[in-house]
Amino acid sequence: MADPALVVRDVSKSFGGVKAIRDVSLEIAAGERISVIGTNGAGKSTLFNAIAGVFPPTTGSIHLFGEDVTRLPTATRAQRGLARTFQTSRLFEQLSAADNVFIALGGNEFRGGLLRPARSNPKRWERVERLLERVGLPGRGEQLVADLSHGEQRQLELAMALALQPKLLMLDEPAAGFSPAERGHLITLLRELPQEITLLLIEHDMDIALAVASRVVVMHDGEKILEGTPAEIRNSARVREIYLGGSIDHAA
Amino acid sequence: MTAPETLVTPTATGRSRSLWARYSWIGWVVVLGLALLFPYVVDRPRFWLPNIGVRSLWLGIIAMSLVFLNRYVGLLSLAQVTIAGISAYGVGYVMVTLDQPFFIAIPVGITAGTVAGFLVALIAARTKAIYFLMITLALGQVFYSYASQAIEVTNARRGLAPIKKPDLEIINLNDITTFYFAALLAAVICFLLCRYVAASTFGMALQGIRDSPERMAALGYKVNRYRIAAITFSAFIASIGGVVLVFDRAQIDPDVVSLGSTLDVLVVAVIGGIGSLGGVFIGAIILTLLDNFAQDFTDRYMTLTGIVFILVLLFAPAGIAGIGAQVKRAFDRRRKNASDPGDDPQQEPTATQPTGEAITKGKQQ
Repeated sequence: MADPALVVRDVSKSFGGVKAIRDVSLEIAAGERISVIGTNGAGKSTLFNAIAGVFPPTTGSIHLFGEDVTRLPTATRAQRGLARTFQTSRLFEQLSAADNVFIALGGNEFRGGLLRPARSNPKRWERVERLLERVGLPGRGEQLVADLSHGEQRQLELAMALALQPKLLMLDEPAAGFSPAERGHLITLLRELPQEITLLLIEHDMDIALAVASRVVVMHDGEKILEGTPAEIRNSARVREIYLGGSIDHAA
Repeated sequence: MTAPETLVTPTATGRSRSLWARYSWIGWVVVLGLALLFPYVVDRPRFWLPNIGVRSLWLGIIAMSLVFLNRYVGLLSLAQVTIAGISAYGVGYVMVTLDQPFFIAIPVGITAGTVAGFLVALIAARTKAIYFLMITLALGQVFYSYASQAIEVTNARRGLAPIKKPDLEIINLNDITTFYFAALLAAVICFLLCRYVAASTFGMALQGIRDSPERMAALGYKVNRYRIAAITFSAFIASIGGVVLVFDRAQIDPDVVSLGSTLDVLVVAVIGGIGSLGGVFIGAIILTLLDNFAQDFTDRYMTLTGIVFILVLLFAPAGIAGIGAQVKRAFDRRRKNASDPGDDPQQEPTATQPTGEAITKGKQQ
């Protein structure tokens, strides 16, 4: 039996005196599709960042495909097959969309030939174009990032994460600011991802979270309070209470 | 929906579709032509060639190394003059103290400067924005006081002299016109080298690091290694400038690595356009002209330079080289406003290489 894609064991993270997450445990089998939902301030993003390696957890451990990565830097985790998107856009703003994907392709595959002119690499540019097509940005490659709409920037985020050919893809609120049409497209795209890609999705939009995932984890006040199938979560009185009683934006 | 074939080969920057960019090489040919004609059109070559020509070239090369780091890595380094100075000291030490010929001294000098840059990078690459600027400034000052005191190595304040220009029998660099052409060749090589590296896959990665180091790490890039490599490369360029400098001055002393010289190079970079590799030479020419002619009509050379500096910052923040883009943008905006009044969504910072952005960017992230 293969190692699970991700094992998070009793992870806590404090910022100063504030405990952002408390003793969160999570196990994701390879190929599984998991959504983590919760209201603003529930600790979703802290958990996400701890897994991605933005900061080490205060306590607890994180294993990626059987390897303890708790103290490993972000770049190493990326090389082990973890790709992530960012909630607020961290794109390469002075470059074109195609350039962004081109750079993303370099992270994991590209070792030799660093000094080769970027343009004289037609194979890689073809892959750039295919990735842009895949996320719904065909022919938009030449646009500067700053000229892309918000939705297009999120699509570009996704193209860059896919460029890494990840084993574990972590998406941080990929649908934030999307129009209904764009949401539909995103759901289709995520459902069509190759089965070998494990997906960890953080969303506070329940529709997307439940549509894509096979299992849903609910976080509240820094703790994991519930885990279940989308149907169970949809019918949970506790979840309804949190979503309606707490922060109400994007309430389902 | 399938994408048209032509989209398969995009450009490195996505901007070279514009006519201006496509024909910019014509501009460079003209500039190079003028530079080649320069010795033959000036009235007093013995004044113009060393004081304006050669000096602008090495000032420009050193400033170019600074601009490269700022534009492609988003780091503003104040150690570039120091690095050029270390290269110059290397040449001086080998030729004066060790009494060895230039063909040993030049590689030693360039190596010394590049290694110094690598060491600066090891210390400074983890920092960014204002902290990087302060660390490079501090390291520069450390070297300045070392150079002023280390009598066995740098001969303290007296410096090392004389450093004779190479004489290759057929090509004698003691002839000022020949030396000018050699300096011009060095500048052209440095320029092409910077452009080549910027357009390489490595250069693309550097621009990614400039715009979002966090993202680059998440993509699997070892951001620090790239920064160190870029700083070392720019040190290599600055070191070439240092070699031209030392043969031009025929000596090396602590003044070369003083805070004043550091500021000179910064002024050159900003006046020329801190986002433009070629613009530095415009900045360098303006500075050397001011330096040489301001005294004819005022005693306050520094004040005048300061005023020019402020005027450029106020009215052409992208430097002289950025004026073309600035005018074009203003024109576009006007046309846009004429057709669509009251709405101006133009994204300013993307069109130019902003001057202050490198300094403030780190804080935004």
